[in-house]
Amino acid sequence: MTNQDILVVLPEIVIALMACFILVLDLYLPATKKKKFGYGLSLVTLMVGAGLSIVYSEPAPVYGLNGLVLMDSLSAILKVGICISTGFVLVYSRGYADARGLWKGEFFALALFGVVGMMVMTASNHLLSLYVGLELLALCLYTMVALRIDSTAASEAAMKYFVLGALASGILLYGMSLLYGLTGTLYINELSASIVRHDGSTLPRTMALILVLVGLLFKIGAVPFHMWVPDVYEGSPTSSTVYLATAPKLAGFAIILRLLADGLGSLATEWQGMLLVVSIISLALGNIIAIAQSNIKRMLAYSAIAHVGFFLLGILTGEVSGYASAMAYILIYAVVTLGAFGVILALSSKGVEADLIEDYSGLNQSHPWAAFIMLLLMFSLAGIPPTIGFYAKLSVLQAVVNAGMTWVAVVAVVLSVIGAFYYLRIVKVMYFDDLATSHPGLQFRPKQDARILLTINGLAVVVLMPWIGKLTTLCEGAIEVLF
Amino acid sequence: MITLSHYLVLGAILFALSVVGIFLNRKNLVIILMAIELLLLAVNMNFIAFSYYLDDLAGQVFVFFILTVAAAEAAIGLAILIVLFRNRRSINVQDLDQLSG
Amino acid sequence: MESILFYLFATVLVVSAAMVVTIRNPVKAALFLVLSFFSAACIWMTLEAEFLSIALVLVYVGAVMVLFLFVVMMLDIDVESMREGFARNLPVGALVAGVMVVEFAVVMMSDRFDSQSLPRPAGHGPDYSNTKELGLVLYTDYVFAFEVAGLILLVAIVAAIVLTMRRRPNTRYQSPSEQVKVNKSERLRIVSMPAEKRLDIDN
Repeated sequence: MTNQDILVVLPEIVIALMACFILVLDLYLPATKKKKFGYGLSLVTLMVGAGLSIVYSEPAPVYGLNGLVLMDSLSAILKVGICISTGFVLVYSRGYADARGLWKGEFFALALFGVVGMMVMTASNHLLSLYVGLELLALCLYTMVALRIDSTAASEAAMKYFVLGALASGILLYGMSLLYGLTGTLYINELSASIVRHDGSTLPRTMALILVLVGLLFKIGAVPFHMWVPDVYEGSPTSSTVYLATAPKLAGFAIILRLLADGLGSLATEWQGMLLVVSIISLALGNIIAIAQSNIKRMLAYSAIAHVGFFLLGILTGEVSGYASAMAYILIYAVVTLGAFGVILALSSKGVEADLIEDYSGLNQSHPWAAFIMLLLMFSLAGIPPTIGFYAKLSVLQAVVNAGMTWVAVVAVVLSVIGAFYYLRIVKVMYFDDLATSHPGLQFRPKQDARILLTINGLAVVVLMPWIGKLTTLCEGAIEVLF
Repeated sequence: MITLSHYLVLGAILFALSVVGIFLNRKNLVIILMAIELLLLAVNMNFIAFSYYLDDLAGQVFVFFILTVAAAEAAIGLAILIVLFRNRRSINVQDLDQLSG
Repeated sequence: MESILFYLFATVLVVSAAMVVTIRNPVKAALFLVLSFFSAACIWMTLEAEFLSIALVLVYVGAVMVLFLFVVMMLDIDVESMREGFARNLPVGALVAGVMVVEFAVVMMSDRFDSQSLPRPAGHGPDYSNTKELGLVLYTDYVFAFEVAGLILLVAIVAAIVLTMRRRPNTRYQSPSEQVKVNKSERLRIVSMPAEKRLDIDN
């Protein structure tokens, strides 16, 4: 093992060690200091992890540890995104989790181990490292969903998530086993060439492709494998929902790009057709069912399904510009979703879950600043200019049109306009409905650090607009070196 | 003469049985967890057969890790099952109706 | 000989796997799962995967199945109500399973996997150690996956504890160490009281 082997996975090593340290610290510190130290150490760890990912990043792929992992710009950008968004998650969920007895050492440790799993996923060049990274993340997520052990809804959500997640892993693994049998290799960068090398029946490789695709789509929650998404978003405590709604999407993008675009790139014409169907029905079903929701977490779950459909549009172009636009899309989506859940968390106080849309009526009268931030975030999710959400949708659509699929772009625009309706309904409820009188009303009392970050997060969706072109350039640069 | 296809078809039968078992069992979550174990057994059967016929050890290493992860997964699945049972006094799948979906 | 062994173990495996997903009683299902793992281990033995074959028996039959049985016995499950409506779904399930098997079988028997493209290898000599070969690559080539698997097991431990351990607020816990450490000054207080005056009744 050389220095380079260590450097490739240095951020993962640091975060894993710190997570273990936080677990042990939790045993020995007095109860009053536990929370402060665990929180502070987790944030420092995530910052260090992000810093190390930048410092030791290399533009061209550097392979390490017998080629099981690699380091390139793609993994560096996504690792930084994962660390920062998890940091935001911790800051936002402090008040909420503390009031519900979830703010403890295990929460930090599970969040950090999940980050390690996601980083391994983004950096994997081998089916085995991809699988263990995926499972490390999945086990942390199942536990975080069930963390509120006195809640029936949370344990039901966790059980559904677990069964469907394990089924998805099994299907993905079955597909991987066929890939291994067909190619004799487990290295992702060798799959593409060797899967088309042999002549003979193409049936086995199509079946392997379908199984791998089904497993991946299950994991990112695209229709028709989306059944778990609304239940898990609604049932789990919001502090866990915000975690599983943001950073894992970045890791999911990474494994889809590595497995489909890189590993199975030679079969692109086969998976493009399947992805086209999946992304259009995801857009349609997500956007239309979201309209009927009365619970805002459930609504954001269907919105997540629709957004997954949208970013798959970028992938299915099969071109560098398409992959880059999908990457920019998913990064922007993570930022905006973090903010939306941040507002929900800040509005939930002890014993009050701000999860019904009607709770938000007249929010502008009682808490104008919270309502304004929510308005910016909803505009961005809907893709209304001048927000970064608009830019994200535009660049994906451009890539789709450039790939010669104009009718797909038209369908996506129509479905997104339908989708804008339910985001604007939140705005309407907040600004034009009367203050709800039936219940005590929501209190906007975030902790000081959460308040500052929430303001930055909310304003960023507009203020960042002039510099957003840089993000696309960055993503394009990261993806160009892959092909 | 036993060929690779024999082992693969055996794996496929196990795979089909377990997938159907997961969807067929509307009453008992423990059986669903067992069906998940069978699903992973089907995958392992494939990997070991390929590993033997390709004369390549990587497949066996993969199975080693699947076994490890499956054990961890079973532990967490059973822990969630216990939490659920304490809240509901039931492990009937049809009783999972708190969440509309 | 090879074929006889294969068909014997495969039959036991398929029948016991079918029993696992159809039987009423979860304890019996767990026992059938043990049988299917055992038959699978025997088949792996014929594929020269000796280490994994033994590991499957030790880890699954020895640990995971005991865990399953432990949980089944711990939870008070009403077995009788478990399978209402099951018979109704069974034909559909059997049909789906049958179609799946046929579809998969068509793929698995394609020319990519027949004895021409992948013939049965000669097998290794008597001094070949499967365990040694696995050990050699496990801690060198695959050390990264090995470490991540360690983290997975750690997460499983943390998860199982955090989910199932609960402190009931109304339960009184006994703390033997506290009890032993007690000394006299904490439990015994000597109060000096003035001696009672004798009441003088006459006065």
